[in-house]
Amino acid sequence: MGYVAVTAGEEIIERAEQLFEKRRVSGDSESLGVDQLDDHLGRLTDRVMSESGLYAPRLAALAAKQAQGDTVEATFLLRAYRSTLERFDETPIVKPGEMLARRRVSPAFKDVPGGQILGATKDYTQRLLDFDLVDGDATNPTGEWDLDDKGDPEQLTTVTELLREEGLLYEPDEPDFGEPIDTTRESVTHPPDRDAVLQALARGETGAVTALGYSALRGYGQVHPTLAEVRVGRLPVRIEHPYTGEAVTVTHTDVTESEAVVPVYEKREDPQFAFGYGLTFGRNERKVIGMTVLDASIQLDSEEEPAENAEFVLDTVDGMDSFGFIEHLKLPHYVTFQSILDRIRSIRDSQDVPDDGSRGNRRTDADDTSGSVAGVNSDD
Amino acid sequence: MTEQTRERTAGQGTPVATDSVAAALADVEGDGLAGYNYAYLDEHTKREVRRATLKAVAVPGHQVPYASRPMPLARGWGTGGIQASLSLLGPTDTFKVIDQGADESVNAANIRRLAADTADVATTTDTTEADIIQSRHRIPEEVLTDEQRLVLQVPITDPLRTVDPSDAANRRRHAHGNYGKMWVHLYESVVEYGEIDIAARYPTMVAGRYLMDPSPIPRWDVPKLDDSKHLTILAAGREARIYAVPPHTSVEPLAFEDRMFTVERFPGQACHACGSTDTYLVAVSEDSESGGTDDAEGAFETRHVCNDASFCAKRRENPDLPKDHHLDPSGVDWGPATPEADETGGDWV
Repeated sequence: MGYVAVTAGEEIIERAEQLFEKRRVSGDSESLGVDQLDDHLGRLTDRVMSESGLYAPRLAALAAKQAQGDTVEATFLLRAYRSTLERFDETPIVKPGEMLARRRVSPAFKDVPGGQILGATKDYTQRLLDFDLVDGDATNPTGEWDLDDKGDPEQLTTVTELLREEGLLYEPDEPDFGEPIDTTRESVTHPPDRDAVLQALARGETGAVTALGYSALRGYGQVHPTLAEVRVGRLPVRIEHPYTGEAVTVTHTDVTESEAVVPVYEKREDPQFAFGYGLTFGRNERKVIGMTVLDASIQLDSEEEPAENAEFVLDTVDGMDSFGFIEHLKLPHYVTFQSILDRIRSIRDSQDVPDDGSRGNRRTDADDTSGSVAGVNSDD
Repeated sequence: MTEQTRERTAGQGTPVATDSVAAALADVEGDGLAGYNYAYLDEHTKREVRRATLKAVAVPGHQVPYASRPMPLARGWGTGGIQASLSLLGPTDTFKVIDQGADESVNAANIRRLAADTADVATTTDTTEADIIQSRHRIPEEVLTDEQRLVLQVPITDPLRTVDPSDAANRRRHAHGNYGKMWVHLYESVVEYGEIDIAARYPTMVAGRYLMDPSPIPRWDVPKLDDSKHLTILAAGREARIYAVPPHTSVEPLAFEDRMFTVERFPGQACHACGSTDTYLVAVSEDSESGGTDDAEGAFETRHVCNDASFCAKRRENPDLPKDHHLDPSGVDWGPATPEADETGGDWV
């Protein structure tokens, strides 16, 4: 009976796993080092870290290797590991303005304080396959650069700050510096607070966030934002020193951030822009812009459009949830299917549908059907 | 995991030292499952799950939110059930896991292995020997006792999801006891098909107060929840909800006076292995034994077999074994009657 092994369930599981592992080593190429993954396929490890909610490049590379490149499976590995770790502290809040940006583009204004910083991007190149890469990588193309006057990276005034000073931006609510919700430790109930929404989106599956964000632009929603800016850079991670109480920088994380204004006026008497925000670990501009659209859409709090309905977005955006439930359909369902067969056979009997499926009477009198249906009262 | 490493790690769920970072790291870097806490989950998480479970027992049929940690199993594959089980299991307990009636299903084997490896529990396939039974979509045929707990894996927590996808709206309906939309749904089903067209996941009223999704158990199993001796815990990992049916609680499937609740029927069928006519059967298609090679007709043969594999094995030894054979006094009500309790030989249709 297929995958109900009669006696050797565990051995079969083990062998199936061994066959899966064999895929990685059965080729002729050299084994792929975890460092290589992080060096060469940084976007992959960035994505795994972002969807896991755990900043750990080496572990993300390991997970991606173990999952043979399946990002959702790698995320699953990393999240399952993360959930066994102690959560021992909360960091003081870091302001986005503290970011040391390596890249920053502001589509809203031609010039902004600090300027446009293109940074590393292939946005404006032609997407042509580079066959030179087949036989290894070229030498460092920036090797000849004269970097004597490079200067230090700057902290930049955020573009939304300029709009805020003018009173053009709606402030959703008073900043709440109380204890933030942690959606990994508390289940989300509806309607969710904005911190829960942002956490769920930040951990959302990249494809799902992109698709849902796109749905709003495609016409299933009202939000068509103007990006104030998209930034890629490093943010400090600080903890309070246990003795002195002072904030101490312990490490940095690479993040991508996006802020947008939306011309949906919050108040008739005092027109202000609505506002959307996105932030995610690593470099993932597509996801972070999608997140920004969704954050702005959810704040409209409408049930008219999928992207504006917090329940719909939060229920569908998590990769671990959707992957698990979609793939669980592979599990045996013969008990439930037998039950479904019982229903359809009973209904076909009561409607006198012949066995060959050709339609007899459309429907018999309802009184006739009750005679053929066994009544088992639960009180019996 | 190879056979050797598994032997080394079996039952080695050991606490991680927390007196220093170095000690903790040394423990975590051990092989296999050593380095994880007893029963995999940390004690805070187990306490949270137990608190949610207690609340669920106190408010029968009410869905209690809990955090639901990422587990090393995929969501939708029993992560809620295993969190509930691991929070309840102790080293002296005996654990049984079934998936759609079978102990040997690969996913059941995987869940059982996680519990055995981390919680050091004995495992069994015999329903009567288990302290905790984790099950996907079945309640065993043998009558459960007041010393047993049944953990059902739940894919979809709310029966109202069928009529409204919004959890917020449905929570309001539960708060107000407003189940009108479900009644209309049942009525429309009768109008459309002449009877209620719900197969598994049959909406049931618990203690006359909360409408409950009993998980996708077949209708056959729903009456077993009514006034049962055992505690049933229903746990969903993906949807992060726990609910319960405490012992001796009324569980009533929604139905109309003239369109009664019916269980699945297997007219004229008996288990081809043990001959039972009073158990839940599933159809299996097999190569025909007559094996006519050129004969296209009869290349396949559909037969029926008991879904509860461990009880079927007992019935093969002793075809007259009643479902309450291990109980004193016998004659306990438990689903459709056993032949002993009913002279018609289980022909109750």
